[in-house]
Amino acid sequence: MKSAIKIIHWLLFLWLLLIILRFELIIDYLSLIFNYISLFLGDTSSAIEVLNFSFVDASLSTLIFLLIIPLMLIFRKRLHFIKGKLNFSFAFLIALCFVFLFAPIISNENPEFSKNLSVTKLLPPLSSVQQIELNPKMDRELTKLEIFRKNSEKIIKPPFNDNVIMADSVLLNDKIIFYHNNQPNEVERNSLNFKDEIPVIEKRIFLLGTDEFGRDLFTRLIYGTRISITVGLGAVLLSFIIGIILGFIAGYQGGLLDIVLNRFTEIFLAFPVIYLVILILAFFGSSIFSVIIVLGISGWMSLFKIVKSEVLSIKQKDFFSTAELVGLSKLQILSKEIIPLIIAPVLVNLVFLFSNVVLAEAALSYLGLGTGNSFPSWGSMISSGQEYITKAWWLIAFPGLGLILTLFSTNSSGMLLGKMINPRIK
Amino acid sequence: MNIKILKLLLLSLLFFLIISCNSNQTSPNSRIIIGISADVQTFNSLFAFSYEESAIVDLLYPGLLDFKWNSEKGELDTYPMIAQSWQWSEDSSYIKFFLRDDIFWSDGTKLTSADVVFSYDIFSDPDVQSRLFGTFDYLYTDAEGHIDIEKTFKVISANEFEMHFPENSIADLVKISIPVIPEHIFSNIKRDQLASSEINFNPVSSGPFKLKKWDRNQTITLVPDSNSFLFTSGQVSELVFKVVPDYTSRILQLRKGDIDLVELVKVEDMNDIKAENKLSVINLVGREYDYIGWNNIDREAFSVGKIKPNKLFGSRNVRKALTMAIDREAILDEYLLKQGELAASPVSRIFKLAFNNEVKPYEYNPQAAKRLLAEDGWKDENKNGILEKGKEEFKFKMYYPVGNPLREYAAVIIKNNLNAVGIEVTAEKIELGTFIHNLNERKMDCWMAGWGIPIPLDLKPYWYSDPNAAVLNFPNYRNFEVDKILDQLETKISNERKNELVKVFQEIIHNDEPVTFLYWTPNVVAYNNRIKNLSITPYGVLFHCWEWTLDK
Amino acid sequence: MKIDIIKTLFTRFLSSVLTLFLLVSFLFIIIRLSPGDPTDNYISAKLGTELSEKIAEKFSLNQPITNQYFAFISNIIRGDMGVSYNYRLPVFEVIWQYFSFTLVFASISFILQITLSIWIALWVIKKRKRWLDNFLTNSSIFVYSIPAFALGVALIYIFSFNLNIFPISGLKSLDYDYLPFFSQFLDKLHHLVLPLITLSAGGVALFYKYIKESMDELNSQTFILNLRASGLEDNVILRKHILPNALRPLISVAGIELGILLGGALITEVIFSLPGMGRLTVDSIFSRDYPLVIGCVFTAGAVMILANFLADIAKLRLDKRLIKGILN
Repeated sequence: MKSAIKIIHWLLFLWLLLIILRFELIIDYLSLIFNYISLFLGDTSSAIEVLNFSFVDASLSTLIFLLIIPLMLIFRKRLHFIKGKLNFSFAFLIALCFVFLFAPIISNENPEFSKNLSVTKLLPPLSSVQQIELNPKMDRELTKLEIFRKNSEKIIKPPFNDNVIMADSVLLNDKIIFYHNNQPNEVERNSLNFKDEIPVIEKRIFLLGTDEFGRDLFTRLIYGTRISITVGLGAVLLSFIIGIILGFIAGYQGGLLDIVLNRFTEIFLAFPVIYLVILILAFFGSSIFSVIIVLGISGWMSLFKIVKSEVLSIKQKDFFSTAELVGLSKLQILSKEIIPLIIAPVLVNLVFLFSNVVLAEAALSYLGLGTGNSFPSWGSMISSGQEYITKAWWLIAFPGLGLILTLFSTNSSGMLLGKMINPRIK
Repeated sequence: MNIKILKLLLLSLLFFLIISCNSNQTSPNSRIIIGISADVQTFNSLFAFSYEESAIVDLLYPGLLDFKWNSEKGELDTYPMIAQSWQWSEDSSYIKFFLRDDIFWSDGTKLTSADVVFSYDIFSDPDVQSRLFGTFDYLYTDAEGHIDIEKTFKVISANEFEMHFPENSIADLVKISIPVIPEHIFSNIKRDQLASSEINFNPVSSGPFKLKKWDRNQTITLVPDSNSFLFTSGQVSELVFKVVPDYTSRILQLRKGDIDLVELVKVEDMNDIKAENKLSVINLVGREYDYIGWNNIDREAFSVGKIKPNKLFGSRNVRKALTMAIDREAILDEYLLKQGELAASPVSRIFKLAFNNEVKPYEYNPQAAKRLLAEDGWKDENKNGILEKGKEEFKFKMYYPVGNPLREYAAVIIKNNLNAVGIEVTAEKIELGTFIHNLNERKMDCWMAGWGIPIPLDLKPYWYSDPNAAVLNFPNYRNFEVDKILDQLETKISNERKNELVKVFQEIIHNDEPVTFLYWTPNVVAYNNRIKNLSITPYGVLFHCWEWTLDK
Repeated sequence: MKIDIIKTLFTRFLSSVLTLFLLVSFLFIIIRLSPGDPTDNYISAKLGTELSEKIAEKFSLNQPITNQYFAFISNIIRGDMGVSYNYRLPVFEVIWQYFSFTLVFASISFILQITLSIWIALWVIKKRKRWLDNFLTNSSIFVYSIPAFALGVALIYIFSFNLNIFPISGLKSLDYDYLPFFSQFLDKLHHLVLPLITLSAGGVALFYKYIKESMDELNSQTFILNLRASGLEDNVILRKHILPNALRPLISVAGIELGILLGGALITEVIFSLPGMGRLTVDSIFSRDYPLVIGCVFTAGAVMILANFLADIAKLRLDKRLIKGILN
């Protein structure tokens, strides 16, 4: 009898893998957190000032990461799903969640980091460059705040670093000579950073290559996952809320409101939604926020229909009129009676909606209307990568693969979910 | 049963498809194909608004004169076209034009002075709203801008006429030579129906090419007009403009041989294209430059009619500091692969006689920048990494339009460079139409964009302090010395004096640094080596394209 | 009976008109509220602001917005969709040129999608192999997940650039006019192969999934088992009983898909430079060509409503056939 691999096994596997590969980094993050706490206790106001998103992000990721598996193991009696059987789609989706939550741990670099373009631009996967560290001139005694800043920049990489030079190769003599495309350049020996008398020159490997701005593709893929998932979840959530509220109103109240809402839905359905999206984004600017709103507004129709028909059919059932008689408020009826019943088909619909939204976001980025270049999303990576299809196939291949696999997994899981809820199909 | 029939149909379709693949080389053997990114909207010269449209439409409607770019002098040389010679009067109050006697329209009618005079009339008609409307203030015009034909033109014969100028007007031969359109066709169309008339799609032209076929958004096919005075026997039998909106597709077709000439090739594709034996590239630099615009005056004060210097960018030393803090050379080297040139003023090197060699671009010097900023009162007292002056922090947003990867790259470098000297910048991308609108409405304090330079050099619309005369002075730059120079340039002075004045202008601008001049951007033109007799200059790519021949 | 049909048709028609009217008004509001101005294109170093002011006057852009709205509505009612700012032709004419292409292209793609998906589904059911079923289900999800632009670009790269079987872009080759009639037809088809594949792949996958699911569901129902037990041939069961029933859910989806296709296959048109409605709409949005934008969206909306209507009629006829079949 084949022993089935369960979801919990996969979770444990990923967790241990990350710990083994990124042990040092996790320790670094922890030390940074302690550093910050000591700063906070010492100089509270400047500690609050120096707080920024990447630090909070990294700390939260580390803490959640360390706690999640132990918590899951403790509560495994309640979490039924982790005992389920593993298949490809679920495995991929779980890996995706991991990437979403623990991005700063999986990749240490900054997705925007770009330096010495002539050397780092459009490198194929698994290529490497030499990274020379320069000594930042420190002429005076540093305050605690500045020490914290300095440490945090070492660990949480900023998008721009003056104290680093990328080169093809380095020659160590009395003078340090480094090569950019076979052009020699010199740098003074004492401007280098030394560790135990040896200048710090590391080999920097680009796992999946670099893009046209010399940025590490692997890191961009990891952080891009976050963007695409955020947009997907945000839009789906918005559609869900709109759809449920409107559907409930239409089904429950009926009458004029119902007719008006029906017309309203028809307009939205008749309207080629993609043009509405393009219109709004083109005119009002595109940012993550507006993309989520626009995609959310374009997807609620199917949810509306489901909720409305369910509400209508429930209205005729006995327990419903009893509920009303007993005096439950509309809100309570909504939450206690209706939502549990419709959750099943709605969930299936939400999964498909999610995949549509992710696809739509990619298409919008292709047209130049996506979340913008400062936040790498799969769509914008594919769209800027397609210009380099003859020279740098990896720019399209990897984000494209990520996109396809995500869509495939969500669609697959959606179908599986549908089958579980609807056991008529064998 | 149905399935079997369908299968058979599909198979036969496939069969025919494979056959048809190899059978299409039976048509005109000399044809040049130019790839363009968007279709023209009309073949009516009156409404050819965009630069690309007018380049194509001007092939059909030559003007009185021909202009060739003289790269040694950096000026345009004037040659005869429809006018075979011309004579200035002694007091320079009029020019007498002698037209060629052998010019015919594509329908056989002869071209006369009446056509020329008619063209001026209709191009300046306010009811027509042509692309040249409002640009005839050097002639006698009425209050609306319509040329006073009686005062301006004296037709002596079918081939001779005089053009009179009001006093103190500077007649520039380049401005005078507008496209000549056929009177016998256009006078029969009601002026308010011009835009939709048939003539837009079936033009009657006098140029070396006439329109054979226009497949909207697909191809424009021009064939030689044997009636035309510019017709040469060696002309190619078809000049086709193929509309391919997708850049990658254009380059693929160029490399495959489906397209013979493409403009605006990306710098990183240059090497691949050069590597192909059948292709060559030319880099035209000096017609467009990118810049960071700083609003020199305070927007709030301006809205109530007062002029005060901008809190952040009002001082010229601060602007100089901003320029010095940005490593423009790095962008040039790393992104443009050295295919552009650092810009120090709005005059580029191609204007050889007017270019001031002494005006050198500011060096990248963050230390000097910090010093200048400190002198202006910007200090970082609270050590948060951002400079402040009193209560004002040096923080702002830089807007730039979508769709230009060079600017996206530059935005990142600029942001980081300015951060390093203590200035916090957020770069924001906005859609092109919205960006242009905000620019015209002067809604932004800082933006990054590009400017194209007209040939011949025209500085007033950009740098004059009066907003009515200078619609493009978005930075709201005001310098009365410069105003004086620009006014003088519009008077009747010699070319040498003009060049001297332009050189002084460059010095003043460089000292004031109203905007941060970034770099002159490259326009790489790639073409197939089988085309001979090309004359690709910064003035234009299609110059005398009727003289192009093909390798056998 | 007839009066009923007419009544339903009439109410349907009225509600469609109402929907279109609301649609267009909604659009008008959005566009006018947005930043950007078509007259911005007419400001340049040469022209100053005079021309842009003149043009604003001509298109009555400087009138209060309520005036503009009423003028707009009264024009629409009279059937005048206005004149496009860019093309300077009546909007109707411009749209007609592009719509005729989209109509042909979308119809071919639609027929292809429906026939291919039904074919494959029938074939798989007949074969009755588990692995084939799973493989096709998984690959249909896979194909459905591929974004159109990635597929299009990949196809161009492989088949046009490297293998040189199909042209890279455009609708006809340059020698089109020199070809005999039949070759002209084939030439166009030749140019459309890659775009059709790009456009239809996702649709085929989607339809296949729908129809396969409903066929599977039906296959396990009792009345089908009964029919099988009574000795009826498989083929006949498939054709007469399962297929018609399975088509019902497909038809609703197909209606929507047809509507979308007819609205313009935007990305495919951009990649392959085809002169269709998708590109026209988006170009007009970016250049703020208000009358054309409204015209395009109106067309797309009207077509969508029409497609849904056709789908509903098809469903009705299908039901009638089913009833007839059962009664037999």
